[in-house]
Amino acid sequence: MSLYVDRPSVIHRLDPLTKLCYIAAAVTVPFICPVKSVALLVAAVTYILLAAGRVVTKVLPLLGFVAPVLLSIFIIQGMFMPDNHALVFRIGPLYFYKEGLSYAALLSLRVIGILGAFSLLVLTTKPSDLIQALMEKGLPPEIGYVLNAVLQIIPQMANALQRITDAQRARGLETDGRLLDRIKAFFPLIGPVVMNAFVETKDRAMALEVRAFNSKTKRTFLHVRKKHPADVALRIMCLAAIILAVVWRLVG
Amino acid sequence: MSIIKAEALRYKYPMQDELALDHLSFSIDKGEFIGIIGENGAGKSTLCQALNGLVPHFHKGAYGGTVTVAGKTVHETSVGELSTIVGMVFENPVVQITGAKLTVYEEIAFGLENLGLPRSTIIERVDEAIELLNLAEVRDKSPFALSGGQMQRVAIAGMIAMRPEIMIFDEPTSQLDPQGATEVFEAIETLSRNGVTVLVVSHQMERLARHADRIMLMHGGRLVAFDTPERLFAMDFSGISVRRPVYTEIVRTVQKAGGISAETVPVTLEGAAEWLVKHRG
Repeated sequence: MSLYVDRPSVIHRLDPLTKLCYIAAAVTVPFICPVKSVALLVAAVTYILLAAGRVVTKVLPLLGFVAPVLLSIFIIQGMFMPDNHALVFRIGPLYFYKEGLSYAALLSLRVIGILGAFSLLVLTTKPSDLIQALMEKGLPPEIGYVLNAVLQIIPQMANALQRITDAQRARGLETDGRLLDRIKAFFPLIGPVVMNAFVETKDRAMALEVRAFNSKTKRTFLHVRKKHPADVALRIMCLAAIILAVVWRLVG
Repeated sequence: MSIIKAEALRYKYPMQDELALDHLSFSIDKGEFIGIIGENGAGKSTLCQALNGLVPHFHKGAYGGTVTVAGKTVHETSVGELSTIVGMVFENPVVQITGAKLTVYEEIAFGLENLGLPRSTIIERVDEAIELLNLAEVRDKSPFALSGGQMQRVAIAGMIAMRPEIMIFDEPTSQLDPQGATEVFEAIETLSRNGVTVLVVSHQMERLARHADRIMLMHGGRLVAFDTPERLFAMDFSGISVRRPVYTEIVRTVQKAGGISAETVPVTLEGAAEWLVKHRG
């Protein structure tokens, strides 16, 4: 259970921390410089990187999902923003103003850019690589384990829920039919599901314990993270972009 | 030479009135294959957990007596440290998969990463464990995509890679189909042949009787008997519902009918056949 898309690309080979640096820059710069051209530039760079990672099509469903939200921003800001003065067009009784539409465009570009930046990380980075990178930088192993395991254990818990549901159905519990029947069927399942989760959690904790999970020794890792010269260059560029944005804001 | 030694071991779970382990004293030699049998609730699993430190470090409660494992006193040694001496495989294969690794190979390496071993050592040991447990075909698969028997073998491989001197198996085949159970017992036999001290909790008497050097019979937290399979299964277990190997039962039925008493009984198919031929007529 992961959104990672395995493709042979230069973006995939970048260090996860470099992609985190890019997210930091892609999120902060358009907010520090509140102009559409900067937000557009950041979004454009992000989608070029997604294309280089051969995953740009995977972002389209996400954009489709947020499209109604963005549309509502255009409608609300375009019609009701307090600074609205210059009428651009009207549809019947609905009046749309330049200031509101411009602000909605800025917000939308920021949202599209942020979505793209996070997608760049999620779609081109194995979760385990990201967590290993963070653990090497000091993330506590317990948090690293939870982040790693949650992706795989949730489907296992879903399987357990299905098994328990089937067992209760075999004993006559009606889980199909009207909404009210389904709601009624939900309550007898809570007890066994929660108890099962507790027991499995305790057993898994013991299994981790005997595999030295709480060892005080400094951990090592099977996989070695390869750092490329491009990683260093990109991190410097991200930092420079943030500094430039701050300077631009202070001076401008 | 004794590798495990328990002296007056006592343990009571929190919120329980009865002792789960009641004054157990025994010793086990290096390289022995020990079977542990008894009814449900006899204290078998608790005993196993008292040998690798889960009792009293993970399960709190009233603890008394001493257990030494390879010279280390269990209640004074952390579970992490003991994990390099005592490996343990549990009943449920699914919960032993950490869930934090994407492939069988990475899963086996998990414990070695926790121990902070160099990468080259991790690779060497994982490769060895994969070969020993015959997991080469599934090394790049997700551990959750495996059958129960394969998952259990991955769990064993994960422990073996940590190179423990002692391996404890707590009902490792109870949730497996016959094929899975056979795979796991074959893996245990391999370990035993390689000199690892093995303790197996199981209700599969025929398999235990065939492989075990000695068998512990537990009841109500107490150690009722600890002897060779041939001597132990010849004893009278009145009041304890533990079944004997089916071959032993056949011989004992014949012995009762013929008024024969013996201090030892055959516990394998071959042994029973030989006994029956010898006492024919």
